[in-house]
Amino acid sequence: MITIHQLQKRFGKTAVLQDLDLTVPTGKISALLGPNGTGKTTTIKCAMNLITPDSGSIEVCGVAPNKLTPLHWQRIGYVSENQRMPDWLSLSSLLDYLRPLYEKHWDRSFEKKLLADFALPMNQPLRTLSRGQRMKAAFLSSLDYRPQLVVLDEPFAGLDPLVREEFLEGLLELTETEGWTVWISSHDMEEVERFADHVAIMDAGKIQLAEEVATIQQNFRKVELFFPQDAETAADWPHEWMGWQSSGRTARFTVSNFDPELTERQCKERFSTLTRCEFHTMSLREVFIALAKKNRHEKEVLA
Amino acid sequence: MLPFYVNLRDGEPVSDQVVRAAHQALAEGELCEGDLFPSIRALAQELKISPTTAFKVVQELKDLGFLVSRPGVGMVAQTPSTPPLAKRLALLEPSAKRFLREARALHLDTDTITEFLKNIHEQTD
Repeated sequence: MITIHQLQKRFGKTAVLQDLDLTVPTGKISALLGPNGTGKTTTIKCAMNLITPDSGSIEVCGVAPNKLTPLHWQRIGYVSENQRMPDWLSLSSLLDYLRPLYEKHWDRSFEKKLLADFALPMNQPLRTLSRGQRMKAAFLSSLDYRPQLVVLDEPFAGLDPLVREEFLEGLLELTETEGWTVWISSHDMEEVERFADHVAIMDAGKIQLAEEVATIQQNFRKVELFFPQDAETAADWPHEWMGWQSSGRTARFTVSNFDPELTERQCKERFSTLTRCEFHTMSLREVFIALAKKNRHEKEVLA
Repeated sequence: MLPFYVNLRDGEPVSDQVVRAAHQALAEGELCEGDLFPSIRALAQELKISPTTAFKVVQELKDLGFLVSRPGVGMVAQTPSTPPLAKRLALLEPSAKRFLREARALHLDTDTITEFLKNIHEQTD
């Protein structure tokens, strides 16, 4: 649905995006994850034609962002964390204004359902609404036309868990739209671990890992080694091993190519006194931290 | 509401966890033969999981023989004749591993654990 190739963007002296490559697969829920200030919003804004990249290419629905026509925009729903809204309008007049823009795509009965679910005040100016209510209003007005591509930039930031639930329920109402694709950015890994099919983890302007969530969960393990005496250290280790730590009789590290037999054999080959090893599953957050530490370490070694 | 309870944990594929929970519900009678099973959409909405994952869950439960589609009705639960032993054991593996790890931490040997399991099994029967 979206393909980004070698994207670069600087703001003054700061290089925000450095040769960023990313694909948002059609028909899936993809998350763009990473700490604040790594360029997630910049990437999304480039794809939504709100800022122009310095170099690189982007394709959204088969065309460059600056070639997206109103016909494309009728099928795209975009909500950002600080969504600007016509504050003087009431929700009811906002919807009256938007409906004709989306022509036949606007689904009146879906609009009614979301309005009932979200329980929003219809007739007071949007500026008098709370932050959660405003976000719900923005979200609702971007879903009513059953977009094929939904782009959400930090949609849950600062919202309470109940509103978040309502958001996800509204979003999942769209399940039956054909080729329905969701691209969602977040700094909170736990928030999307269960919800996303695919994640791209971003750090320092680059994609560090882009993979199906289930594959990450299968490939990454925290390995714990137990020794009869002091923990051994290995002379060499596969480059899929990272974050080696040892203390007393135990050592711990992360593997990125976990296979019960292979990993156990690799451990036994390297450590002659090993008594046993254990494997623990890792959450996305733990995987991210392991990767970020590895990158920092590699940079230090290079410097 | 879903006819079974799942408490999702991070780090393990969501579809595996839901399949296990549904299977458990069937085994414990929370979900009975002939009961209507939620649609992919209902499953996704209730659990706040991706429809792709929900689809995978239904597919796997069908493969295991726990679900069957009835045209015009939807997905219906069934207790399969007997799924292959290996598949049944595979469902038990994660909890067995957790259990054994805790047992080892308590310095219990295999015989003690086996005896313990037998006793519990008799009590619950």
